[in-house]
Amino acid sequence: MTIFREYLKTSHLWQLLVFNTTEVYIVAHSLVPGSRHYEKGLKELFAEAFLKVLDQVGNANLGAIYVANAFSEVLQDQSVLGAYLMDYVGLRRIPAIRIESGDGSSGIAVLEAYNMVKAGIYDCVAVVGVEKMHDVINVKLNKALSTITDYEYEGFFGVTPAAQAAMAMKEYMIKYGYDYEDLAIWPIKMHERGSKNPLAYMKKQATLKDVLESEVVADPLRLYDVAPAVDGSAAVVLCNKPLKSDAVIRIDGIGVGAYGTYTGQRDSLTELYSVRDAANMALRMAHVSISDVSLAEVHDTYSILGMLALESTGLVRPGETPRLLSAGTLDVGNKLVINASGGLKSMGFPGGASGMYELALMVMELMNVKPFESLGRAELGIVQDMAGFDLVSTSIVLRRVG
Amino acid sequence: MVDQRLSIPRYWRRMPQYYRLEGVQCVKCGRVYFPPRAVCECGSREFKPYPLPSTGKLINFTVLYSVPVEFEKMKPLIVGIVDLGGVKVIGQIVDCMDPDKLNPGIDVEVVFRMVKMDGTYGLINYGYKFRPINSC
Repeated sequence: MTIFREYLKTSHLWQLLVFNTTEVYIVAHSLVPGSRHYEKGLKELFAEAFLKVLDQVGNANLGAIYVANAFSEVLQDQSVLGAYLMDYVGLRRIPAIRIESGDGSSGIAVLEAYNMVKAGIYDCVAVVGVEKMHDVINVKLNKALSTITDYEYEGFFGVTPAAQAAMAMKEYMIKYGYDYEDLAIWPIKMHERGSKNPLAYMKKQATLKDVLESEVVADPLRLYDVAPAVDGSAAVVLCNKPLKSDAVIRIDGIGVGAYGTYTGQRDSLTELYSVRDAANMALRMAHVSISDVSLAEVHDTYSILGMLALESTGLVRPGETPRLLSAGTLDVGNKLVINASGGLKSMGFPGGASGMYELALMVMELMNVKPFESLGRAELGIVQDMAGFDLVSTSIVLRRVG
Repeated sequence: MVDQRLSIPRYWRRMPQYYRLEGVQCVKCGRVYFPPRAVCECGSREFKPYPLPSTGKLINFTVLYSVPVEFEKMKPLIVGIVDLGGVKVIGQIVDCMDPDKLNPGIDVEVVFRMVKMDGTYGLINYGYKFRPINSC
């Protein structure tokens, strides 16, 4: 019996019988460069990104729209967001399903949309991330961000995601023997990439002096370690067949991992277990190993979280990130390129929409479209998104085919 | 964001935790949890109350300058993780004018303090904070 079960596990025939063979393609993408869009609300930002992908897909039959948004209740006093957004774009008969999973909303929205297409429920589904961070002043935005923590026992006492990241940074520095100056390489490298990316919010290069002289947000975390909050929207359309034949992007693997817990209960602040599980699931589904991946976009809301994400995904050995970044090993022109866009550090942090930015950028990187022509032809890319401190993570493996 | 002015049950029901740091201990395997939870790692759902000790050690901390709106007048906040008899709790470190003197490993004790004022006419919320035993 055991032998038979083992045979079934490995047999290709078994896979054909059990799993459907529908593939899921990303057939359109768009993003509104993050900024302080004071003249635009959630509706305008959403419409700008969504109508662009709608134009790209022509008359593709969109079955549903997934809207990734984290804070519309607290920042805009709006619930049932999807319904109002769809009415604004004249499609009130199409169901818009809003996904809230903090700053990791987008990855979960893509996962849900992927499942719908994969299951054959819809032929095409749009996923739109939208967030409007600058409708409130900074301390109120901090309050909204603190709802990502376990509010009764963390946010209640003033704990914010920045405080958690700061303590993780301290633990990382002690564990691997780094000074703050060593870790400043993350913002420096991200700003360098951002300076070459016209879509970036932070287009200026940063020097070590800039980083060291920036204000302390949560010791040792400085302003340059924090992805700046922006208003923004980004979108993709997933379909069960490609709409054109050149530079087709296919989702080969998608994974989700969870490690939701009270911070005090964690045994380590330098390993992101949800990230590791999500990456393993996505890689397994794609039948590839992490060393096959050439491009990665990671969720660097704080520079330390970008580094930990790289290490927990398995792209870099634990403790090696600052060294490899300084040596230029993760820059354009190498086997593995990290955050070619400049990451959230340069693109800005649009709350629950940030994962959609990462995804749209990865599609552009794999397709070698402007401003990523110099990346060369890469086949495999991975996109990592995470809610809060290691609460829920998603990982998406994209392949350029055709 | 509307200031919440009446949140009495939401606050009252947490008084055992906020006032006395009352965790739970699994009746089967003896594991202790703070905050309380419904199911133990061992699978058991039977717990008894377990007040945490009132002294412990500082494990990690940060000085937080960018704070949520209710804490604006108290900034900077020192936020730290404290080990109370093997159970780690995250909270504010107070009575420390010079955070440079704080170090992981120092002894701290639990103190009862105001946490925040809930709106102009709302409740004053109290709860636990931690203070270094040897003043800093």
